Amino acid sequence: MGMKARNLLDRLFSGVGVLAIVVMGLALVLILAPIFSRGAGAYIFKATVEHRRMLLERFERGNAEALAAEAEAVREARAPVYAMLARYAAEDLAGLSGREKREARQRLEEVEDILQELFGPMPGAATPVLPRQQYGATRWDRAEVKLDRLLYVETWDYSDSGSMGQQVLKPRREEFAGTALEPLFGYVETHLEAMLRPEWTFYWGFLTDSSFDAHIFGGIWPELVGTIYLTLGAMVFAVPLGIVSAIYFAEYAQEGRLVSLLRTCVSTLAGVPSIVFGLFGLAFFINTMHVSRSKSVLAGSLTLGMLILPTVIRAAEEAIRAVPHSYKEAAVGLGAGRWRTVVTVILPAALPGILTGTVISMGRAAGETAPIIFTAAVSVGKVLSPWETLTQPTPALSWNIYNLCTEHEAVDEIRHVQFGMAATLVLAVLLLNLVAIIMRARISNKLKG
Amino acid sequence: MKWFTMAVCAALMAATTVTAEEKLVLDGSTTVGPIAKAFAEYYMSMNPDVNVTVSESGSGNGAKSLIHGTCDIANLSRFMKDNEFTAAAEAGVMPVAHVVAMDGIAMVVHPSNPVKELTVAQVRDIYAGKITNWSDLGGPDRDIVVVSRDTNSGTYETFYNLVMTHKVDGEKVKEKIQSGAEYVGSNGAARQRVQSTPAAIAYVGLGFVDRTVKDLTIEGVDATPESVASGRYAIARPLFMFTNGYPKLGSHVHAFTTIHLSPKGQEIVEEIGFVPVTKY
Amino acid sequence: MGTPRSSRQSLVMSARANLAAALSRWLGNGLLLAITSVAAIGVLFILFFIARDAVPFFQLRGFKEFFTSTHWYPSQEPVEFGALSIFVGSGLVTLGAALVAAPLGVAAALCLSDVLPFGVRQAVKPVIEMLAAIPSVAYGFFALVVFAPWLQRLGAITGTNALNVSIILGIMALPTVVSVSEDALQAVGRELREGSYALGATRAETLLRTIVPAASSGILAAVLLGIMRALGETMVVWMASGNAAQIPDPWFNFLEPVRTLTATIAGDMGEADHVTGSARYHVLFAMGLCLLLFCFACNLISEWVVSIQRRKLKGE
Repeated sequence: MGMKARNLLDRLFSGVGVLAIVVMGLALVLILAPIFSRGAGAYIFKATVEHRRMLLERFERGNAEALAAEAEAVREARAPVYAMLARYAAEDLAGLSGREKREARQRLEEVEDILQELFGPMPGAATPVLPRQQYGATRWDRAEVKLDRLLYVETWDYSDSGSMGQQVLKPRREEFAGTALEPLFGYVETHLEAMLRPEWTFYWGFLTDSSFDAHIFGGIWPELVGTIYLTLGAMVFAVPLGIVSAIYFAEYAQEGRLVSLLRTCVSTLAGVPSIVFGLFGLAFFINTMHVSRSKSVLAGSLTLGMLILPTVIRAAEEAIRAVPHSYKEAAVGLGAGRWRTVVTVILPAALPGILTGTVISMGRAAGETAPIIFTAAVSVGKVLSPWETLTQPTPALSWNIYNLCTEHEAVDEIRHVQFGMAATLVLAVLLLNLVAIIMRARISNKLKG
Repeated sequence: MKWFTMAVCAALMAATTVTAEEKLVLDGSTTVGPIAKAFAEYYMSMNPDVNVTVSESGSGNGAKSLIHGTCDIANLSRFMKDNEFTAAAEAGVMPVAHVVAMDGIAMVVHPSNPVKELTVAQVRDIYAGKITNWSDLGGPDRDIVVVSRDTNSGTYETFYNLVMTHKVDGEKVKEKIQSGAEYVGSNGAARQRVQSTPAAIAYVGLGFVDRTVKDLTIEGVDATPESVASGRYAIARPLFMFTNGYPKLGSHVHAFTTIHLSPKGQEIVEEIGFVPVTKY
Repeated sequence: MGTPRSSRQSLVMSARANLAAALSRWLGNGLLLAITSVAAIGVLFILFFIARDAVPFFQLRGFKEFFTSTHWYPSQEPVEFGALSIFVGSGLVTLGAALVAAPLGVAAALCLSDVLPFGVRQAVKPVIEMLAAIPSVAYGFFALVVFAPWLQRLGAITGTNALNVSIILGIMALPTVVSVSEDALQAVGRELREGSYALGATRAETLLRTIVPAASSGILAAVLLGIMRALGETMVVWMASGNAAQIPDPWFNFLEPVRTLTATIAGDMGEADHVTGSARYHVLFAMGLCLLLFCFACNLISEWVVSIQRRKLKGE
């Protein structure tokens, strides 16, 4: 092979390597971009007057007087709509009979349904039980989707029998041509802003509000607190155990058959699939040990603690081993015993490294789902007080992301909540890792001198 | 110092026992889930000091939790099975059924699918893998993507008993669902799969049918609350909440399991898309 | 470290104090060992509890059906527990993940360890760490809500299929593959590289002919660990694999939905009940046991392989 060809191949080879790294970075961006950009929509969005009404009534936040003035303005803007509806019922509907009347009423009901989704209950109607019927569209983006449904009837054209039907959008106005309701559609289209008064809002309450009506309103506070409890609980079990084990491995253990067996066990524990931890947590902590009557934060924490134990041990051992030998020799030379050396010299020196590993495993514990399915997670629940965690289960971010995007009855209505939850969880975990990365950088700088 | 510690301990214990009384644990079906969750919200808004938790882990899991005594109310989208009753009796638990609502199982397809109507036999053949292309049913030439609920769900069992089981020459024949069927964990996921897959068919609880999917007429009857209530729609079933014995009068469990009998309860059931058992 | 101290002690301490010190040291050591054993006992407990509930299944139903039949009908009469298609499903997505992660990961590791300058390497590290840190449920959410519709727009009949899951699992396994194989490449000393360059080899030749063969066992261990991660992953496959208990036709058709062991455990546990002592409950533990044993095996092999490499490098 000539030199040229060899050089070309060399370049090609480097290119492939760089490409692999670029692909990796691209994958990260492709995954994070939609989660963060759409997740931001849960916090920052154009909120309508319905949103502000909801906040005031449910969470007692906001300016009651300003809202009253706003409500008045909104009522005025909406009045013509309800007047048209009343006129239609009185003039057009009354003139019909039999099947025609039934069909017309059905069409009217459809319009009324969408209007209720947009503006909340009709004036004078009794307050519905479910909050989702008490408020109109709280988000402008949802309101626009609903406006589309109001303006156009979606039908499907099946005339070509060889292929799937084609979607045909027909203006709903045509259904009501010549009636008192005909101008309604144009009016709503042009006056929707006046009727809902959207404003760009930073809804910090998404983080700190409880949700109600199956996550359609409110935030993710109970889930967030549940995740924090589970994570902290796992740390309480795993960190002391992990550090002591690491001290043993790094300082005390004489390499022999027993120790290498122990090491193998630890690395094996790290390789156990997370769902098997879930099975084990159910079979052992709940069904055998009865740490709680049923699912509880305690049982979930214990399970998660076992899951992250190997990570903590490894990180702590590495940190302890990285402490320069001279430290130890100096301590021993000054007459300190082995345990004293460990506690007063080695642990403080290794602490940043241990913390780094701890923080990373915290991220792991916060994000795990499979181990808590059978041991701790529920889909609806209140914020627990610390002592209730011993006996009660909790919602948690990771489980509720799964739950909301697969099991919820109105998956599309609450996409922003799912993305918001996912973004919050990912952000929290990445921040923990960022902290770890910064800490590690500082340690390596220090060790370099 | 000592008395202080003791006082703290006593206070903690009192707090724990109080909270232990003031909680209501529900477990079970994802189909009954929306009703249970809406009832839970409603109940917690009326009784702010009660914590109602709802797990949606499947009907079988609900029954199991009730037998273990780990939940107060088990949501089941099917009746309890013989072996569950046996196990309950052995554990000293006496399951009592409360029918909270009726539910039809709607067959849903993508709105772009021209097929409007199927018979129960056709549905069975689709799920058994005997009909594999929409063109056999008057639709376009597309392979059918069969979506089923996971085998741990009450909806699956009901569908299996009402559709896949049939009589041939007076003998009960149980058809197997073809192995190529996709299994999803919940009604919402089943609907979502159909929503995003033009050639798919799935079965979901009535409350989960919305504009994004098209429900099919079965044996000439539309799946509506009326047709389910009147029994004309073929694939329908009651939804249950089970308690251990009839709940003590005046207890939270009693109050909770009678919500569906009140006008408010009926309104909630209707609004979420199920068929109430009462008519106010 | 022990020697200087004990000799010093023997200089200043009486025999009795020495005994007490030895005793307390011995006790302390024992206590530490006991605490350390928690992790080890944990593994044994897991194995024991999973096996305890898995054995009754094989007693009830034998081995043949479970491993050779493709009829998975756990909830109908008569029940059938043929898990072959589920094993194949798990195998298929793991293979897919390995096909994504192994070439990409090894190429990236080579590039990181030998091609890129130090500064760039430091910048790439966080990317790998972030990929490793993203929770599995977030990956699953992405696979189901974002990625599946993309695939469908590209013409797949259903977006939740083996391909979707393979790609996502591959990305999830990447960090493991990259970091472990990079370690292996770094462990090969400078001497080999310098020797090869001195003989006039280009960088590609040096890496492919000298370094990679020397680090091959470490790279193999990296791929094995990546495979383990993919095989044990639950949420992504549960949400986005389609969960159809079938062997795709032909078997490598990645566009068909499949069902995996982990998703079956997660999804079926709801109905399986040990109160009624049914085979249905135990079959899930049997699956758990198979997963566990496979992961143990992978782990042991990778450790063995790494120790071989270490010995080989020392020997040279």
